[in-house]
Amino acid sequence: MERGLKAIVWFLPLIFAFAFLVPVIDQGMQALGLSAPFGLSTLTLALILAGAWGLFAQVTGRWV
Amino acid sequence: MNAHSTILPVDLSQLSNAELKKLELKIARKYSGMFPWEAVVWAFGNLAVWLSLWPLVFMDILPLWAAFPIATVNMMLVYLPTHEAQHDIIARPGQKLRWLNELVGHATSWMIIFPFEVLRITHLDHHRHTNDPEMDVDITAKAPGPWSAIWNAIQGRQPAAKRNHDYAAALMRAGRPELLLLTLAYKLGFIAILGTLAWNGCAMEALFLWWLPYQIAITYIVFFLSWAPHHPGIEQSRYRNTRAWKSKVGNWGSMWMQFHIVHHLHPFIPLTRTPAAYWEVKPILEARGCDLGEL
Repeated sequence: MERGLKAIVWFLPLIFAFAFLVPVIDQGMQALGLSAPFGLSTLTLALILAGAWGLFAQVTGRWV
Repeated sequence: MNAHSTILPVDLSQLSNAELKKLELKIARKYSGMFPWEAVVWAFGNLAVWLSLWPLVFMDILPLWAAFPIATVNMMLVYLPTHEAQHDIIARPGQKLRWLNELVGHATSWMIIFPFEVLRITHLDHHRHTNDPEMDVDITAKAPGPWSAIWNAIQGRQPAAKRNHDYAAALMRAGRPELLLLTLAYKLGFIAILGTLAWNGCAMEALFLWWLPYQIAITYIVFFLSWAPHHPGIEQSRYRNTRAWKSKVGNWGSMWMQFHIVHHLHPFIPLTRTPAAYWEVKPILEARGCDLGEL
């Protein structure tokens, strides 16, 4: 039980990144009329950016 | 400004510590015990306004850019009514309106993603251990100046922040480990609501009506309720662990925190009555060597 809870806490940054940051970046870019580089869709770019940021937060323990 | 007290004699210099204490308590009692209807109206009014923003925005009655600052103010206003409830100011255990005290606490604290009991236990722990580097749950708010205080407030919300561990330690000391689980449930619930909204095309609404207002508000709350009244956060004695101070944004802008010293000395005085209590008890605070700044 305790181990499971610790795992959830450990994964919170990535959970937050994919649950919330991805659609925020995707819809934010669309609202601002921005397109993704290299022919990527805004959703793909959002997955890359949010995933990388979430991974950074999970490894370092901080978003900023 | 200095209220002419009907309780205090003109000259306090000849009074003993016990006599000063007796007069201080007499003044404190004068400003306590009344029903703090402002806190109740504030709690439910604020909740109603914030909840109403969602349908207003979804139905395009109110633009998101206009709702965002309102939501931010709503989030800033959440904490103090729960704070009154944490101190049982609305009603104490066993009193007729105890249910209202608890309702105010529970109905508002969820907006800032904390179970009411967690806020109550950790805040009362802060009162017991103010400025103690090891035990004060709010010690991470300590900073040399306002900009570093803002940065510390942001750092206090990071996944591995010391503040998280300090809050958990306070719950463990209180013998309430189950509240760790409840806190986690609140955090996961928050992410679930934000995620559900966001993946259904309402990411901007979730961002500007809750997540960003919450972030701004917590920084504001930590700055004005934790950092400013306890700065420089060094002394731990009863009359020196909190200060009075003159706020550049006034009394409303700093939410009565200029008079936070009165709250720490007598936590049962309702928030909106702390200014009047301060002006009356000020001569005693001066005699006690309190840091009263320019107030």
